[in-house]
Amino acid sequence: MCSAVPDPNPVAAPDDILTVTGLKKHFGGVRALDGASFSLRRGEIHALVGENGAGKSTLIKILSGVFPHDAGQITLNGAPYRPASPHDAKASGLQVVHQEFNLLQHLSVAENISIEAMPRNRFGLLNRPEMNRRARVALDAIGLSDVDVRAPVSSLGIAHRQLVEIARALQSDSAILILDEPTATLTERETTRLFDIVTGIRDRGVTVVFVTHYLDEVFAICDRVTVFRSGETIITENIPDTTPQNIVRNMVGRELEAQMGAATAARIPGDVALSLKGLRVASDPNPAGVSLDLHYGEILGIAGLVGAGRTELLRGIVAADPVLSGTLECNGSAVHFKDPRDAIAASIAFVTEDRKDEGLILDMPIAANIALASMKDISRGGLLRFAREQQIAEEGGARLRLKCGSVRDPASSLSGGNQQKVVLAKWLARNPRILILDEPTRGIDVGAKAEIYAILRDLAAQGVALLIVSSELPELTNLSDRIMVMANHRIMGTVHRPDFTEEGILNLAYGQSDTSPIADLQIEGAR
Amino acid sequence: MASPTTATPKLAALRSLINNAGIGLALLFLIVIFSFSSEYFLTANNITNILTQITINLILAVGMTFVILIGGIDLSVGSVMAFAAVVAGKAITLPGFGDTELILLACVAGLGVGMICGLLNGVISAYWGLPSFIITLGMLNIARGAGLQVSNAETIYAFPLAFEEFGSMLIGGVPVVFIVALVMTLIAWFVLNRTVFGRLLYGIGNNEEAVRLAGHPVFWYKVIAFSISGLAAGFAAIIYMARLNIASPIAGIGFELNAIAAVIIGGTSLAGGRGSVIGTLLGAFIIGVLANGLILMGLSDFLRQMITGVVIIVAVILDHYRAKYSAS
Amino acid sequence: MTFTKIAASAAAAIALLAAPVMAQDKPVVGLVMKSLANEFFQNMMEGAEAHAAQRGDYELRAVGMQNETDFESQINAVENFITQGVDAIVIAPADSKAMVRPIKKAIAAGITVVNFDVALDADAKAQQGLELAFVGPDNRGGAKMAGDALAEALGAGGKVVIIEGNPSADNATQRRLGFEDAVAEHSLDLLDSRTAHWETEEANQVFSTMLTAHPDLQGVMAANDSMAIGVVKALENAGRSDIIVVGFDAIPAVLPMIEDGRMLASVDQFGQQMAANAIDLALEVVAGGPELEGWVTTPIELVTK
Repeated sequence: MCSAVPDPNPVAAPDDILTVTGLKKHFGGVRALDGASFSLRRGEIHALVGENGAGKSTLIKILSGVFPHDAGQITLNGAPYRPASPHDAKASGLQVVHQEFNLLQHLSVAENISIEAMPRNRFGLLNRPEMNRRARVALDAIGLSDVDVRAPVSSLGIAHRQLVEIARALQSDSAILILDEPTATLTERETTRLFDIVTGIRDRGVTVVFVTHYLDEVFAICDRVTVFRSGETIITENIPDTTPQNIVRNMVGRELEAQMGAATAARIPGDVALSLKGLRVASDPNPAGVSLDLHYGEILGIAGLVGAGRTELLRGIVAADPVLSGTLECNGSAVHFKDPRDAIAASIAFVTEDRKDEGLILDMPIAANIALASMKDISRGGLLRFAREQQIAEEGGARLRLKCGSVRDPASSLSGGNQQKVVLAKWLARNPRILILDEPTRGIDVGAKAEIYAILRDLAAQGVALLIVSSELPELTNLSDRIMVMANHRIMGTVHRPDFTEEGILNLAYGQSDTSPIADLQIEGAR
Repeated sequence: MASPTTATPKLAALRSLINNAGIGLALLFLIVIFSFSSEYFLTANNITNILTQITINLILAVGMTFVILIGGIDLSVGSVMAFAAVVAGKAITLPGFGDTELILLACVAGLGVGMICGLLNGVISAYWGLPSFIITLGMLNIARGAGLQVSNAETIYAFPLAFEEFGSMLIGGVPVVFIVALVMTLIAWFVLNRTVFGRLLYGIGNNEEAVRLAGHPVFWYKVIAFSISGLAAGFAAIIYMARLNIASPIAGIGFELNAIAAVIIGGTSLAGGRGSVIGTLLGAFIIGVLANGLILMGLSDFLRQMITGVVIIVAVILDHYRAKYSAS
Repeated sequence: MTFTKIAASAAAAIALLAAPVMAQDKPVVGLVMKSLANEFFQNMMEGAEAHAAQRGDYELRAVGMQNETDFESQINAVENFITQGVDAIVIAPADSKAMVRPIKKAIAAGITVVNFDVALDADAKAQQGLELAFVGPDNRGGAKMAGDALAEALGAGGKVVIIEGNPSADNATQRRLGFEDAVAEHSLDLLDSRTAHWETEEANQVFSTMLTAHPDLQGVMAANDSMAIGVVKALENAGRSDIIVVGFDAIPAVLPMIEDGRMLASVDQFGQQMAANAIDLALEVVAGGPELEGWVTTPIELVTK
């Protein structure tokens, strides 16, 4: 590994725009960055990869002036660089599109795009036509011609919001553009569109820093990659000179076993656990609703594009949102859930898509979060039994290999992957017979992902029925026994494990079973 | 994994103490300043006075803490207190009953009126998902009007002697009404920290959707939180009557703002989910000590009002930094 | 509270609209009151209604306010009465300066206006060129009567404190001045003077603390009886029966206290008749009698055991 350690004093190459040397940042006792060194060249797409907590986000926050570094040097265009504020960083030509959305929900798309420099007319008043025109140009530049610039951001889907954010960042002339997990919420088509845009920006001489969990994306568009592990930079490599296996090995410091892609031995599904007969949720335009059967001991995946109605369907099943019509059968008998409480009583657990808004109580201890759905188990006569709570939390944590200091720490102290494990532990503490998961591994690193996959497979083997919605096709093909593909709130088809092909699934997801989706994507990209 | 030795309740109590240390220090600071500037401040009589004076605000503020913890607010407590007092006053002056019956009747009437007002606040704001600020502002007017209507704007007086005695009774220099309020505060602490209900109130304040999706009847928990605030207003009405031996329909104007100030100074977040009644107790003390000490110092009424305002703002600024440091 | 004000003026407007002035011989009198939440004005209002029923030769339209300082609602009420073309407006101003302009407008519209209870501010009247008589009690004189009673009981050099009403209210100012007159005349020693905003609970708290600061005080002058009740309770709690209390308004709740000696005196302004008397005067002018001039004082009386 010696050869992989970066030169402690890298000589600035002439075309280097930004050089980072021995950068350190500590938060209390936590070493978020513990000696990061790398450089960015003019006009390259540079990937930063690493498990969650490896230090990528900290680095970005230092570069964008959110907080200062403790030690080390940064030079930008040959001069020392130490931004005092995000504004400072922007003035220096460094733009960041953050993982967390920074859009103002109730303002229009155009207002959000122009928020930093509102155009004024000669009376000093807001020049609305000009503002809308600029927004139109910015959106068209990234192929978002289907978005109305006057629409409020709150009316857009999560993917579109991400794209609007990118459009906003691209609007100003920047020398360095940092994209922090830009594709986490995008579908493949949108991702392709984004890649074309990013390549175009690179060709104009802008340096693009690309933070991602998806190695295929790294190999698809990046020129170089720097791997982070435990607050340090491990290696910087040219993409043509490396392989995904190589990068993963550097990221985790060990060979990821075949865990990830392990072909699961075919499971033999048991009785029908849950049966939907024409279930129609409030946002479903089709009067016929959705019908499907979920068996005990199987993993049923639901694929589809953003907006296909997958999340809405799950929320309808557990009565988190109202259902218009149709029936639900549990173990062969019809049930009617009035609210999530009823669904839980029927031994159904629902792991939501958005762990921060719907899954976790971030300020509360990990133990309280794990026990949240099991209050009966940790109380007697309405009084809490703290010892029992701690026991349940520690057992649940151990089962999922949760990495935390103490279960009394707030959930907000955990990394994304461990937070997701807390959400899972909350539901597993109830020993559900039916487990419904919406994007179970969004935004978490490969190591944690593999662990969660193993847990889910294990549950299926124990006879639990699993229904999983995911936007990552490899995740579904890895885990599922069957994949149902949804488009526009309808089930377009079901693919069984032996027949899994990305192409076949994508065909269904785009709602067209004849034309090649690849052709479709190319047409999109050509715009 | 977690260290297995953590004795959780003790730890929680300790943590709550540390969290409240800042405001405790502020209180201590005020006490020291006033002790030096007025020879009367630390006399037994004056301490009795202060304890009496904070009693009603403490009761209202403890009830308010429940509502603020779930991210709501209750602007109606002052008016509800007056309404409850008037109804209880009508009850306690009914002819033809013995004293014990009258007192019991008045307590039931006062607490009942308070709780019903709170229940309505809760049901309306939770069922329609409306901001409690507006609903309780409406209730503020309804209860005030109802109190005036019932009493015909007249002060009700002449209560049973035993009731008056309870209001002015001292045990070792400590007013009984304060002891009662303190017991109520401790019960509230217990409910918030040791019961499923309390735990979920904090949860609702932090992330209502997560609590709902975990299968808990969020609607009812909110209704109960508002009912507790109303109940506290009814309770405050009984204490008011016992102390002053009148029931006035114009009592309690602006009391809601003092109660909210005590809760916020005590470190409970207006956004919900964070805070404690121990903080509220200290907040009520700060307001009471400040009012008392500034009069003893001979400051004019107007300056006194300004200083109280400054203290509220400074307390919230300090709390902002405390929250920031405890988060990082 | 703006919301409260809007609600109050809306209610007042609706009440007025609902009763348009009919073409009839009976003169119409608009009565503009202060806060009906105040027992004193509530009584006064009831007195006026009884008076209207008894006389039967005029039509009474009464409007009350939400609170003592709600002069916006009063302005609206006056303007509504002008629109309706009433014959006379009898008004107890919530603000002695703010009400000058709308009243001037009413007079210009040919309406007979009688100002009672609280006098309009002399300077404001002069500035607006308004001449208007005042019908009402002498708050300052009344307060002095109470202060005199206290002074006679204590003798010269007696140590006293004043509990004031709302600092911005005219009657609060007059009563404070009356107490101060008594202090000056009898050479009392005024130790402290603080507001308790007319409120029992606040008076109780403020006075308890004043008593701590001045344990040697001998007498208390409270600007209304609600506050006097708070003072009496504070004295009972402190176990002090040697301190003499006087109040103002003579509300029913303090009469037993005067009877058993917990209070020395209060002042009765005969509020129940005050509005009725002002209406009588207004009707005389409407019927062609001479215009009122200066200050038409109404009776006040010291109430003691």
